[in-house]
Amino acid sequence: MKALLALSRAIDTLNDRIGRAVYWLVLVAVLISAGNAIVRKAFDMSSNAYLEIQWYLFSAVFLLCAGYTLLKNEHIRIDVIAGRFSRRTQTWIDVLGTIFFLLPLVALILYESVPWFLRTWQSQEVSPSAGGLILWPAKILLPIGFSLLGLQGLSELIKRIAFLQGLIPDPGEKQVAKTAEEELAEEILRARGDKA
Amino acid sequence: MTAFLIANMAPLMFAALVVFLLLGYPVAFALAANGIVFGLLGIELGLLSPALFGALPERIWGVMSNDTLLAVPFFTFMGLILERSGMAEDLLETIGQLFGAVRGGLAYAVVFVGALLAATTGVVAASVISMGLISLPIMLRYGYDRRFAAGTIAASGTLAQIIPPSLVLIIMADQLGRSVGDMYAGAFIPGIILAGLYASYTLLVSFVKPAWVPALPPEARTMREPDGTTGNRSLLVLFILSTIVAIAVWHLYYNPYKPEAGTDVRLVVCVSAGTAVAFLAAVINKLTGMGLLSRLAERVVFVLIPPLALIFLVLGTIFLGVATPTEGGAMGALGALVMAVGRRRLNWKLLRQSMDTTAKLTTFVVFILIGARVFSLTFYGVEGHKWVEHLLSALPGGQLGFLIVVNILVFVLAFFLDFFELAFIIIPLLAPVADKLGIDLIWFGVLLAVNMQTSFMHPPFGFALFYLRSVAPAKEYTDKVTGKRMAPVTTGQIYWGAVPYVVIQLIMVSLVIAFPQMVMVYKDDAPINDPSKVEIQIPSNYSAQPYPVAPGKDGAAPGPAADPLEQALQDQENADKAGDALQDDFKQK
Repeated sequence: MKALLALSRAIDTLNDRIGRAVYWLVLVAVLISAGNAIVRKAFDMSSNAYLEIQWYLFSAVFLLCAGYTLLKNEHIRIDVIAGRFSRRTQTWIDVLGTIFFLLPLVALILYESVPWFLRTWQSQEVSPSAGGLILWPAKILLPIGFSLLGLQGLSELIKRIAFLQGLIPDPGEKQVAKTAEEELAEEILRARGDKA
Repeated sequence: MTAFLIANMAPLMFAALVVFLLLGYPVAFALAANGIVFGLLGIELGLLSPALFGALPERIWGVMSNDTLLAVPFFTFMGLILERSGMAEDLLETIGQLFGAVRGGLAYAVVFVGALLAATTGVVAASVISMGLISLPIMLRYGYDRRFAAGTIAASGTLAQIIPPSLVLIIMADQLGRSVGDMYAGAFIPGIILAGLYASYTLLVSFVKPAWVPALPPEARTMREPDGTTGNRSLLVLFILSTIVAIAVWHLYYNPYKPEAGTDVRLVVCVSAGTAVAFLAAVINKLTGMGLLSRLAERVVFVLIPPLALIFLVLGTIFLGVATPTEGGAMGALGALVMAVGRRRLNWKLLRQSMDTTAKLTTFVVFILIGARVFSLTFYGVEGHKWVEHLLSALPGGQLGFLIVVNILVFVLAFFLDFFELAFIIIPLLAPVADKLGIDLIWFGVLLAVNMQTSFMHPPFGFALFYLRSVAPAKEYTDKVTGKRMAPVTTGQIYWGAVPYVVIQLIMVSLVIAFPQMVMVYKDDAPINDPSKVEIQIPSNYSAQPYPVAPGKDGAAPGPAADPLEQALQDQENADKAGDALQDDFKQK
């Protein structure tokens, strides 16, 4: 179990680093899109490459952050009923869900998407629109993203089994120090405290 | 047994989905797993082609290359930066001062600011938290009814769901295969009317139960002229001046020179002209110190300018057709960044946090969509769409019967599901039926968006109530100004306070059903008064209209499909493409 927990920690670190690096692409996409819009209006010139790079970046964000979002436990759940279960029951649901829901999905997508990517890679296919970008860098995001998601699934599985054995504290808690909402509330209170 | 399975795959699949979702495992993966399990079962039973899942990469590719969804991270990022820029606080304080002296004034201020925040930040949680921390203590201090105050704040926060640029409308447009611009234009007037209904409720309360909404005493107004007057008159003069300018532009420029310009374009330009005059006056007043305007008037103009400028930058450019919604989102995000820098509120921590939250929200939203696409691959394969259609089109009462049943269904589901789940799971099932019944899909979308707004207000799971609870005083406290001990706000008070607003929401749903004209202005046609005539002219995306058969992404044109599964999938693909085509169409405008 010790070796497995070490593996889990390594995966967590990997996805955490990737998530923190990839979220900068949000800002990049905003700047490119706004810049493109301004240039298009002001100088009446545009290129499909700028439009396509925006959704390449968008795809990179949600695919490469899939594992990161799972690590932070932010994939949305319906907890109307499940919220009433004990922590142990919820952890069991996570264990079974990972084995029977998440990992088969990852396996299926990898099985289908790797040959799909390879075809584009070998043909060096380019987007059909004029001035379009080469396609494989976008297509490879799919197998990479789902690999990261699968790895994180494995890590979550290890952590939850370890928790059920009483080896580690509950990994199911949201892993953010403060939510954005709490930060906002604190900031407003601070600003008002200064005034009073 | 096998025969039973084969005959009832779609209902069984739907029932299993409910169980899978209620287990509490992330929705995206539960949805996908349901599709996989029943896909394998279908292949085993010979119902589905063994090559079924080969379509998955292309289906996910369709999500990746989707321009509409690109607006989701942009508007999210804009809202997150904006909510921390201090704009909401300034607005609440100043508008509260302005309206406070009237009976019910603070409640009007909350509704008004709620609507302004909805049109800019568009984040329910942020609006509720700001109003809960700034307006609620003042309302309690001067003796507002606790339930009424809590309900008004929670409901005004949810306006962000219906007033553009809301995420709800983007995703609704995507799922219905319509353009986001049309969706925004269609939702705009119902959103304003809804805010009007909230304000009318305050008005009603101020007559029936005046003790619930006392006017603030004169000493609560801290912003005064040196001679002690309120400065209201100066603001009134400025307001009338701006209005005259706006009306003048309408009558002296548009009527003689550009009579063909649409109402929304005129509205955007005229309001902008009026606002610009007020801004100019305030700037001149501040720079020269001439004392043309009262402090109050100057302050009101300065706090209103940032949100109005952002509304123009985002919604104005979209309605004018200058920018696509995606570009509007990016411009808005950039504008929010500039504003936050200008107010010295932007730092690395806030920037990183906003990008982090945006990335995670985008990921979970898009993954629900991916899960829904894996689910629908199988569900369409076992002809689930025909099952749903059969169930719903057999309802008595035609269009009206369908709308009533669907709205009751969504209202009940909204107790348990939030809007992302509703939008991705329920809407794709309902849309083709609505379309076949001749219901305009923008109208349908706005209707459901108003209905789904209740999912934020339903006790006990409504998110707006949850956020209000987190910032409302839960223990006895001492008021900073009066020094009196104040009782806490109980959870029961928050829940009961929301009930009248849920009722108002239902009234609004009926109004949208009864008066589709308020949505139909998106078509920019002459006013249409007879709803029964409206639907006939609507081009149908799903059925009647022949699809524009575009070449597939691989270059191969989708040929006539032999088996029903391929047919169904192709229908869906085509519906997507028709949606894309509309988007392109919109862009070219």
